[in-house]
Amino acid sequence: MTSVGPTGTTGTAPREAALRCEGITKAFQGVHAVNGAGFAVPRGLVTALIGPNGAGKTTLVNILSGSMTCDRGQELIGSTDVTNWPSHRIARMGLMRTFQLSRELGGLTVLENLLVAARDQAGEALWNIFLRPGLVRRQERDNIERALDLLETYGLYRLRDSRASDLSGGQKKLLEISRAVMASPSILLLDEPMAGVNPALIERIGGYILDLKRNGVTVLMIEHNLNVVEKICDHVIVLAEGRTLAEGRLSDLRQNEQVVRAYLGEVIDAGTVR
Amino acid sequence: MSGTWYYVFTLVFFFFDYFILAMGLNIQYGETGILNFAYIGFVAIGAYMTGVLSLPSSAGTGQYYILGLSLPFPVNLLLGGLSASAFAVLVALIALRRLRTDYLAMVLISLSLVLYDISNNYVPLFNGADGLYNVPEPFAGALHLNTNSFIPVFAGVTGAIALLLWFVMSRVTRSPAGRTFRAIRDDDVVAAALGKDVFRQQLKSMIIGSFYAGIGGGLLIQFSGSFNPTAWLPGETFVVFAVILVGGVGNNIGLIVGSLLVETLLVHLPAFLPAIPGAPGLIEYFDAVVVGALLMAMLWFRPQGIVPERVRKAARMGARERPADGPGGLVGEDVAALAPAGARAGGRAR
Repeated sequence: MTSVGPTGTTGTAPREAALRCEGITKAFQGVHAVNGAGFAVPRGLVTALIGPNGAGKTTLVNILSGSMTCDRGQELIGSTDVTNWPSHRIARMGLMRTFQLSRELGGLTVLENLLVAARDQAGEALWNIFLRPGLVRRQERDNIERALDLLETYGLYRLRDSRASDLSGGQKKLLEISRAVMASPSILLLDEPMAGVNPALIERIGGYILDLKRNGVTVLMIEHNLNVVEKICDHVIVLAEGRTLAEGRLSDLRQNEQVVRAYLGEVIDAGTVR
Repeated sequence: MSGTWYYVFTLVFFFFDYFILAMGLNIQYGETGILNFAYIGFVAIGAYMTGVLSLPSSAGTGQYYILGLSLPFPVNLLLGGLSASAFAVLVALIALRRLRTDYLAMVLISLSLVLYDISNNYVPLFNGADGLYNVPEPFAGALHLNTNSFIPVFAGVTGAIALLLWFVMSRVTRSPAGRTFRAIRDDDVVAAALGKDVFRQQLKSMIIGSFYAGIGGGLLIQFSGSFNPTAWLPGETFVVFAVILVGGVGNNIGLIVGSLLVETLLVHLPAFLPAIPGAPGLIEYFDAVVVGALLMAMLWFRPQGIVPERVRKAARMGARERPADGPGGLVGEDVAALAPAGARAGGRAR
């Protein structure tokens, strides 16, 4: 088990952006949830998106993942403009997400939750089921093996035949992350992966995120636990009132008066936000 | 053939026919979560289209209807099913793309009422309130069947078609396509976030389910030789819902149980029971009350149905057994080995 530790020499030196957004605006009946937010998520790093409650973090993740459209602004994955693409097309570009409140596919087993996420399944085309059954069977067998490997990795193997609705809160968090990984993401958006999770599991999830980073996956995570942010995130983006307030390393942001006033000032002992 | 066997084979026909209808609604509602309250409308389209494709030209028949192509069985039946599927595409393009759950259900129940009013009042289409009659019985000429011998033969043909459709449906629901349907049923936002084109998948489900509805309707008109608006009052949709909810949503065995219990024993068997002295027709009117009460009781006490949806276990999917994992699982190199090639190569999407 890899422990959560300092990110070492990895810094926020300019890198190619895996995901970039500019001037994203979203209003609900005149109230701006996101108001011109813009930033770049460096490829291959773990980036934290922090900010006070109501800053627009989850709305922004919903927009970036295609679950919601924006009123104005632009989103780029690599060099492809994916602004207001539907979420299934964005997912096929390699951007996967988890949800703030775990959303398991409750009627499916844990294993099936992962199998749904496998990409390019020949068996989803009806003609293949009848005309190319061998291909469907072979691919299904490979997907099952890969899903079971992931369930072992994430400590969920013995729950493979349980309905996902029967899992505990922490297990659902692990299921969501492993399901997203099953889809072979190049970019992973995690919406508060540590929320409501015990300290031991926080350590494990942190380890999984660092493993994903080592494998080249770009991670953008909303997180309120600044201890976690400090230990695993290379880059931090601060959002306040729907705008990007500042970016950089957390240690640098602690010196930023605006950031301290808007967010960090509320922090008790550099830990969890009040 | 004695009267008893006539009744028995009639019940056998209705059992198989409603099993087909239940399979169609099950893939839409039980597997994909589409509340198709217009289902009986698709059954009617299948019945009417099969009828007008079987009948000769309407000139001189005393009826008014379109087409009249005298097509043989099962070509007419197949085209009847495809007509219902084609109509499903139209409905899906208009309603399914933008609407979800309760709003979609309201639009579909309205559609059912509109279809009913059109067929009932626009005579040149399907002969209005009189409906179609004198529809030729399949094989009757070739096999020299009379009315009595036609019933067991056609009940057997319907059974064979039901078995074939069951085989096809089982292959679909057990495939990755079926799993994707169930994912959309459980949470369409998550399914979309996993790369599933929800509308496209729902459209597939509507097309398949409506084809089954059309085939079921086509068999009805071929069996009885007639079909008119009293046969498909919009409330009939809820009898098919009762079949799948009582039997068990999301599994084909439950549909057999539901078809037998609700449609065969509660809806059609009472029609053959002797009338209660002084109250003729009371038994037939009473069956709707019994079905409604049974539906409410099931939703209250056993919402999963008599035969609940089965958990699809890994071993049954062909997975090899492995030693159970510890609390932490594997990390590090093991994860690296599992990582997708695209991710290892620098995170490009495949």
